[in-house]
Amino acid sequence: MKSQTATDQISPWLLGLRDAMPLLGGYIPVAISFGLISIQAGFSTFEAIIISTLIYAGASQFLFVGMIAAGSPLWLVVILSLLINARHLVYAPNLAPWIGSNRWWPWLMHGLTDQIFALAHTRLPELADEQRLGWFTSASLTAWFSWVGGTAIGAVAGETITAQWPLLGEVMAFALPALFLVLIVPRFTSREWYISLIVTIAVALLLTVYGLNNAAIPMAALCGALCFYLARVGVISGDNTDG
Amino acid sequence: MDNALWLALLVTAAGTFLMRLFPLLWMKRHLERHDDKDALEAIPNWLGILAPLMVAAMLGVSLVPKTIDLSAWIATAIGVVATVLAWRKTQSLGLPVFAGVAIYGLASLALSL
Repeated sequence: MKSQTATDQISPWLLGLRDAMPLLGGYIPVAISFGLISIQAGFSTFEAIIISTLIYAGASQFLFVGMIAAGSPLWLVVILSLLINARHLVYAPNLAPWIGSNRWWPWLMHGLTDQIFALAHTRLPELADEQRLGWFTSASLTAWFSWVGGTAIGAVAGETITAQWPLLGEVMAFALPALFLVLIVPRFTSREWYISLIVTIAVALLLTVYGLNNAAIPMAALCGALCFYLARVGVISGDNTDG
Repeated sequence: MDNALWLALLVTAAGTFLMRLFPLLWMKRHLERHDDKDALEAIPNWLGILAPLMVAAMLGVSLVPKTIDLSAWIATAIGVVATVLAWRKTQSLGLPVFAGVAIYGLASLALSL
């Protein structure tokens, strides 16, 4: 991202809105799909919107409506929906040094999705203390509203949209990998990071191709972390003089 | 939805929120125990390493096309190269994403003809 002087010249609210714009390309098509699937699973438009507003976590929402439609026991639905979100446990601690004591911060954690974390982890350190709350509020609300709005559109008109512009959803969805790429490219700074990032991306990609979407993120990150430590102690690089 | 379903929804929503909130409160307390100027050093090492790797994992997951076939992979590869080139040129956030989506869209269209 641009230097701190660029972030100084623009209101943090506007900057948050601008930074969150690429997320919309990924959020809206997925939210439209969720709205459509919810209606097909027997939920009303209002219920689909409430699920997106309150749970606000893509994968677990799809699981939630899918398992309920399949008649699964509710306790199992709740446990599995929460398990999918367990990866969120590591997000907030990484942002904590840049989060102040304002009483709104805890409530804003509702908006700490995968993508907002990725964005905030890069942007918050670049901002001045007094800019961070405004930036995070703006970016997270933009993403949240787009998710809820996309769900509403999908519930009301999802079938018509997907039938009329089948390619649009796929093309817009590329905004998400493009955004993650831009966030991760500056991290390729050393041998350890090269090895661990490439392994992580490859493992996540392979697990997803083989249908293990929900396990992909935590499993791939753990594999990458293992490679990072192995590379650091020289086992992979051959620096280990004992070997 | 009946009452039991509403309850399941509320428990899932509350649980998801608490999973996002509690680690923050834990870390804030952890940081308070350390000097403020050592805040970055106070983050456990593994946590600082895991965070970029989680983003890399999200990248890996999101790279998989909705319809898996050769032309979709080629379009994805072209989109990735375009995004990286645009990032190297601008070092910014928005423009490379826009360029990546535009080139990916054009490549998808060309390959589907």
